[in-house]
Amino acid sequence: MEEKTSWDWHTDLKEIPVKEWENRFNWVQAPQVSKDGERIAAIVNLDEMVFNVCVNGDVWDDKYEKAWCLAPFADNGFAAFVAKDEEWTMNVNGVQWSNWFDFIWDMKISPNGDFLGAAFQTDSEYGVIVNDVPWEDRYENLTGAVMAPNGTSAAVVQMESMAAADVDAFKKGIFSVARNGEAQAARFLNAWNISFDAGAQNIACTVRLDREAYSIVQNDTIWDNRFESAWKPQFLDEKTLVAPVRINGKWKLYKNNAPFWANAYDQLWHLSVSPAGEDIAAIVSTPYGRWTVAVNDRVWQHSWDTMVSDIHFSQDGACLAAVYKHKGAWDLAVNQTPWQMRADKVFVPSISPDGSVVAVVVEKNSTRQLVVNNRVMASGFSFMADPVISPDGSQVMIKAIENGVYKRQIISV
Amino acid sequence: MQTQDNTMTEQSRETNDMKSEKATDPAIESGLKRLTPERIQKTINQVLEKETGPRFKAYVETCMRCGMCADACSFFLSNDRDPYFMPAAKVKNTIWEMLAKKGNVSKDFLRQAVRISHLECNVCKRCAMYCPFGIDIAYMMLLVRRICHKLEITPQYIQDTVNSHSVTLNQMWVKDDEWIDTLQWQEEDARDEFENLEIPLDKVGADIMYSVIAPEPKFQAGLIYQAATMMHAAGIDWTMPSTPGWDNSNMAMYTGDNEISGRIARAFFETAAKLRVKRIVMGECGHAFRSVYDIGNRWNSWVMPPFEVVHALAFYHELLTEGRITIKEKYKKKVTLHDPCNVSRGRGLHDKARQVVNMVCEDFVDMVPNREHNYCCGAGGGVINCGPPYKNERMVNNRNKAEQLAATGAEVLIAPCHNCHSGLEDIIHHYDLKMEIKFLGDLIYETMEKKIYTPGK
Ligand code: SF4
Ligand code: SF4
Ligand code: SF4
Repeated sequence: MEEKTSWDWHTDLKEIPVKEWENRFNWVQAPQVSKDGERIAAIVNLDEMVFNVCVNGDVWDDKYEKAWCLAPFADNGFAAFVAKDEEWTMNVNGVQWSNWFDFIWDMKISPNGDFLGAAFQTDSEYGVIVNDVPWEDRYENLTGAVMAPNGTSAAVVQMESMAAADVDAFKKGIFSVARNGEAQAARFLNAWNISFDAGAQNIACTVRLDREAYSIVQNDTIWDNRFESAWKPQFLDEKTLVAPVRINGKWKLYKNNAPFWANAYDQLWHLSVSPAGEDIAAIVSTPYGRWTVAVNDRVWQHSWDTMVSDIHFSQDGACLAAVYKHKGAWDLAVNQTPWQMRADKVFVPSISPDGSVVAVVVEKNSTRQLVVNNRVMASGFSFMADPVISPDGSQVMIKAIENGVYKRQIISV
Repeated sequence: MQTQDNTMTEQSRETNDMKSEKATDPAIESGLKRLTPERIQKTINQVLEKETGPRFKAYVETCMRCGMCADACSFFLSNDRDPYFMPAAKVKNTIWEMLAKKGNVSKDFLRQAVRISHLECNVCKRCAMYCPFGIDIAYMMLLVRRICHKLEITPQYIQDTVNSHSVTLNQMWVKDDEWIDTLQWQEEDARDEFENLEIPLDKVGADIMYSVIAPEPKFQAGLIYQAATMMHAAGIDWTMPSTPGWDNSNMAMYTGDNEISGRIARAFFETAAKLRVKRIVMGECGHAFRSVYDIGNRWNSWVMPPFEVVHALAFYHELLTEGRITIKEKYKKKVTLHDPCNVSRGRGLHDKARQVVNMVCEDFVDMVPNREHNYCCGAGGGVINCGPPYKNERMVNNRNKAEQLAATGAEVLIAPCHNCHSGLEDIIHHYDLKMEIKFLGDLIYETMEKKIYTPGK
């Protein structure tokens, strides 16, 4: 359970030397930092085909032939995929799961860290596992697995095997959506982009019904309308589903199978609903070739020539930040105001609950810096994880490596 | 220096003289069966009226049937200058007829249109360079392919690659776990050369995302090994995605499935955006390089690719000129270079390609014509992807290319594009050319010093 209020926001600086890891191990992979910043971990190589995970200098008990996908979860946990005797499982904080597979990938972590999941394959059969409980039903293939905050899982599954280049079998529709392992009755040419509502009671996704007809399926019901294409739908509540759909070469937002937003865009994707559900934002392109953000069908005053890659709401919905690229440089715009940093890379911004503080790591000339409310607060780091803002918005936690030392630093803003 | 007789054998000439049987394709036949005259007419008119613009109108109205484009086309040259294969004839026998008859065309006509657009034009754009008005026949043929797509009469094998893209986002039905497993296997093997070599998966904030096409993990995993070795030796901060979006190919671009093409392009660039890389480096694939600037992007409203995409040729050039990779001893055999249409004519990398070849090889001979004027391989514009049923025809339609290769007297043919590579390999075997074929990466890997770059040294 991630509980930011219980984290240490008082100690100015904590340091963990990591340079020495290079001497202790044959080599050290890219580090990961725990959410609370107290721990730094990396996959390390101890010998030929001997890997492990080192957390704050301590290695996990078991040794593995392979390890990958080390990821932080909850307050200060780490999970990784690990292999022994050519079988794979998940290791969570040094403890292996009991189920082993021929392969495991696509790690899922619920927002509070209570659920960890992954896709797996054994004997050419595919499924999803959550908290060490694998699906009972297995499938020919599986793509696009998702996991809801309550651990409910779903994926697009292939229901029958298909001979090589059998375009007729494909045309019949051999894909379905399985929820907690159980496939729905309907079959589709394609299914993509599964969404759950907040409680994971309802499920939806985009589907292709024949070579040209795209639509949205909401639980077992396919919307009546057919579209030229469709992107990922999003639930506003249990009964209300919105989705970007393409009609006559333009993108529109539909709600429950009917037009919702009045405007048509040259592109409309990445729907994001404010946590209270009051505002819907999306990345849009308008006019053709220009990129910006639309909130409730009103576009921001600025647009950019390359792309908007991601948008993020504050908890109260008052602040919306967009990462964009313009004239060859990356940048951030907060509530329509571009910061004009012209960086080489802009990472995922953190926003205080009330939206008054936005902190982001950027890279310029191969060094990383922390920018808070468009002011550079720290710079010169070779590595910097995404910052964390204290629950009251008064402090920012820097997690960075400088001269071989990991630093967890609290600064006031 | 060893020399080889690269002239085509009499036997292969004879084979080539025989017009091969026209193959039949179950996907086209069953598709045609389902069509009604109404659907045919509606679909054609809808594409021609709603999906074309002034460019199409200008091309149709400007062509004066002068025939100057004829000698540009490998299909025409390989078929004893049969007027049927003239570029302008391809348009006449497809689009013009559709326009003239307002879409009211027969199934036999459509069968022929699929054949012309998918099998008898490799959309190589060579003819456009020789047309006094720059008329782009390839664009017109791609329009015909779009109509075929909507009528569901696309040849079976290439349709299957698009079906694969639509499910897995790669063209070869490579499953998600197979992809990652292959990378890990290549990484493990490459550690025989560099003990601590890593193929960093999903490394957020790396400078470069390296991307390949699906035939690499499926059949040519050694190319990933070689690329990893180069990246490691050159000290590059790089990563490869473990998630779909890793395949930079886009066969939907060649079947006119613009919707899937856009979906593929979106996944590719959004993978790079998620990984926060500065630029994308791709393997030696020509059509994938073309797709970066093609319909999928524009369908998404990207006028230009949102990330700089560096083709392997340009990347090798960078590594060698910056001294990040050094050549231990130049390659000795006599080599020639095939300029892939999509890399040279399409994106102008021919001079860089020659500089790289000269940095790596001792004995380089150009084929004639060369650079942007080079003859196409007759394969990579989607023709080879129509599969085994059409291989014989493809060989007949490539006689011209075989003659061009033979005339170089080279022992090794460098083909920095996967489709060219496969198509040319077939030509070499069919015409018994006594040539080896290699990627440029093969030669760099073979000749480079296996040591790690240290800045300043
Ligand atoms: S695009 Fe190439 S293959 Fe097609 S007609 Fe022109 S020259 Fe011939
Ligand atoms: S050269 Fe141009 S104008 Fe002449 S026939 Fe060919 S396409 Fe038409
Ligand atoms: S495969 Fe190569 S020569 Fe052939 S069309 Fe592609 S780029 Fe051109």
